Amino acid sequence: MPDTLQRLTLLESIIGAVNLGAIVLDENRSIVLWNRWLERHSGWKADTVLGRDFFEVFPELQHKRIESAITQALRDNFQSLLSQSLHKSPFPLYPQAAATSDGRERMQQAVAVTPISLPGAPRHCLIQITDVTVAVGREKLLREQTMVLRSQTFSDGLTGVANRRHFDVAIDKEMRRAKRSGSPLSLLMIDIDHFKDYNDQYGHQQGDTCLKQVASALATMLNRSGDVLARYGGEEFAAILPDTEPGKALMLAEAIRKGVRALAIENGHEDGAARHITVSIGVATQSGAAPLDIDQLIGAADRALYQAKDGGRNRVASTAPATPPA
Amino acid sequence: MVNLSELENDALVEIFNIGVGHAAAAMSEIVNEEVTMSVPSITFLNRADAAALLGSKRDGDRICGVSQHYDGAFATEAILMFPEDKSLEIVRLMVGDSVPLQELTEMEQEAMSEIGNIILNSCVGTLANLFDSELHGSLPVYHVGTSTEILAVFGDQGDDVVLMLHIDFVLAKHQIHGYVAFVLDLSALHDLKEQVNRYLAKVFGTA
Repeated sequence: MPDTLQRLTLLESIIGAVNLGAIVLDENRSIVLWNRWLERHSGWKADTVLGRDFFEVFPELQHKRIESAITQALRDNFQSLLSQSLHKSPFPLYPQAAATSDGRERMQQAVAVTPISLPGAPRHCLIQITDVTVAVGREKLLREQTMVLRSQTFSDGLTGVANRRHFDVAIDKEMRRAKRSGSPLSLLMIDIDHFKDYNDQYGHQQGDTCLKQVASALATMLNRSGDVLARYGGEEFAAILPDTEPGKALMLAEAIRKGVRALAIENGHEDGAARHITVSIGVATQSGAAPLDIDQLIGAADRALYQAKDGGRNRVASTAPATPPA
Repeated sequence: MVNLSELENDALVEIFNIGVGHAAAAMSEIVNEEVTMSVPSITFLNRADAAALLGSKRDGDRICGVSQHYDGAFATEAILMFPEDKSLEIVRLMVGDSVPLQELTEMEQEAMSEIGNIILNSCVGTLANLFDSELHGSLPVYHVGTSTEILAVFGDQGDDVVLMLHIDFVLAKHQIHGYVAFVLDLSALHDLKEQVNRYLAKVFGTA
């Protein structure tokens, strides 16, 4: 029957030409078809795998989901889908076929297992493998860009610390947590002294560098998990310190004050001597004993900051009735 | 609307619990973590009531559905359904991704389809095995929309009955409630009842 023969040749050519992997197993799970796409991406010629047991060729796939998918196709007549997200790259297939597969990344795969009914013969099953590497790469890029975008929305462009928006979200969250757990929450308002003079004398570019240096020093000193350092405005920073008693907050503030002075950034002269960049810090705490709302806490820290400025700068002041730092 | 005896009802609940047990084992194997699933109850509803039950939280809430068509001993459209936010939660628990986007991405939709594929094939497979019959199953199709929209995809014959399974899914201390709906026309419902009775007769050795 030349017609049948011609159709068979046509079908074989099509299976050889399609842009996906096709494996057919018989009822004993022996490989009876291995198309050209698979030869290309596995490096294995059809005649090396045909007639062999599927799990002898792929021993690492035994007891995996694909085994139950094959069983369900052959026994139950069900189709199965194996997604890339849950299985990554089950088959040793590579974007470019080559002699060696060492150190190369496998192709990302989506797999479908389909029963094939044959007249007068036991059911077979077809395993189709699609290359989804491009789609996976696209989603990875999407996630990475989302990450970047998200961190940009919440960080200060110049100094890299949290921005005001992040501060507003964080203080709200920490305040609720503190009230629920009855734990103290301290807030530091940190302002760079005589920063206008610095800008006037050294220019705005140098001013930006100074802000970055101070911010990075503050961030290094506020390194407990949960601490949030944010740029609150121009040369003003705010630090949210969860689970921090007034005494501990004052100690931290004092360490920060000393740390910034130790940067030894020159800021003109005063009374003939070199003056350095320093900070004034206002400290306030809300606790179970002295509950405050967010505005009251920020207001209290602000008032303390003005006290420190009035007191001559380069100092720490607190509105909380706490013991002063040793 | 549908009169199942208590015995028939209990038999179906038990069969579906075996089914989702298999599905949970398959999913545990994939994620290397304990997954448990159970079917606390089943209900027969008409299509409108089924849609109302799924959309009961808020009108217009979106549902994610994964459907497969089965035919053979009886014909049915089987649909696994979770509220959209819950399906995001399931997929991310299963895949373990750290950057959640607002909707399921293409790859995540496929993972959701696979989860549906596992659960539906296990349920229907157990049913078919115990009934000693064979069904042919399609590949899963992913849907998103309101419950009414999703159920409307499968034609709209007024006398359709929906067999609704309540499913409890537990993974990594998260408990998520979902549903599996089997849309059955009257002849499929008749076939299903007959199969249940044949199974019960076999189990109890009476006719």
